[in-house]
Amino acid sequence: MLGSIGLKRLIGLAVAGLMAALAATAHAGSEWVTEGSRAEGLDSCVIDDTEKMRRNHMDYLVHQRDDVVRRGGRGSQYKLAECVNCHTAEDAAGHAIPIDDEGQFCASCHNYMAVNVNCFQCHRKVPEEE
Amino acid sequence: MSFLTIVFALLFYAATAILVIGIGYRISTYAKAPAPLKIPTTPAPTTKPGVVLRLFREVVFFESLFKGSKWTWLFSMLFHAGLALVLLRHVRYFQHDVWLPIQLIQPFGIYAGFALALGLIGLFMRRILVDRVRYISAPSDYLMLILLFLIGLSGLAMKFVVHTDVIAVKDFFLGLMTFSWSPLPADFLLIVHLLLVAILMIIFPFSKLLHAPGIFFSPSRNQVDDSREKRHIAPWAKQLEE
Repeated sequence: MLGSIGLKRLIGLAVAGLMAALAATAHAGSEWVTEGSRAEGLDSCVIDDTEKMRRNHMDYLVHQRDDVVRRGGRGSQYKLAECVNCHTAEDAAGHAIPIDDEGQFCASCHNYMAVNVNCFQCHRKVPEEE
Repeated sequence: MSFLTIVFALLFYAATAILVIGIGYRISTYAKAPAPLKIPTTPAPTTKPGVVLRLFREVVFFESLFKGSKWTWLFSMLFHAGLALVLLRHVRYFQHDVWLPIQLIQPFGIYAGFALALGLIGLFMRRILVDRVRYISAPSDYLMLILLFLIGLSGLAMKFVVHTDVIAVKDFFLGLMTFSWSPLPADFLLIVHLLLVAILMIIFPFSKLLHAPGIFFSPSRNQVDDSREKRHIAPWAKQLEE
């Protein structure tokens, strides 16, 4: 059996451990941006608030299809092409790396969450040739 | 670190401890409970591999429930199979690099959420509409179904109505596991979902949900029907014999 002193010591240790865990908590922050992309040189997303884009990009980008195809609307502020233009990196030869490649802009978070990206079965994944 | 994060971090540490220690304690009492008589429900397998197969059919396909009541079996299967897939889908929150099978299961886990909810509705209706089941239903029977249903509903709502920040949620749970806490997003649905899950974890070792480990210790299912070949004698009875 644990004596009362032993129990107190145990609780004390547990509390100290929790405090240490709290103190050691340094939130790295989700500051992800692809190295070598145009976006790396910018302070924030040019389309909308960066935090808003991180959280809600899936809602902004999806379901524009009916609007575009049936109603001819091109008015959305959010364009996948713009994301691709700004967030792709280039390889050593100067060719753009597809944005959904391993470790690139889309894949880094989507792989982390095991969320499938099916945008690029139709849409281009490298910036438009200038 | 927000107050909410601290409360939920502590809550989940406590809930996990209660769940693990509680179930461990229950299993140890089940394992130690005497089974003085040979009482397998016949027709029963006469060999050990046969018993393993029987338990497998019982646990995976709910064989005896199927023989007993087709409707209950249907809703039960919808719920349990749905829950299994949904739980597998949630493994992605607890692995930094998600296993391939877990990646592949993601889309099925979404549909499984609906199967789970449908199964629970069916089981709830059964308790209300079938006279003899209503007669023996206790409040906890209803409350378990309601609790599980609300967990499923809040989860589905996060998928289909208002998203939460899944990256932050994953960071939170990985943070709990590595003791380097990360903030929990203050989204209403997420808070409700996690609170209900914590409640479920805490009451699990004190509730009817113990049928999950309990079925493996059921003497009428896990005994070999070999009483004609071998005399069955409980360890304590053996002492009296000598």
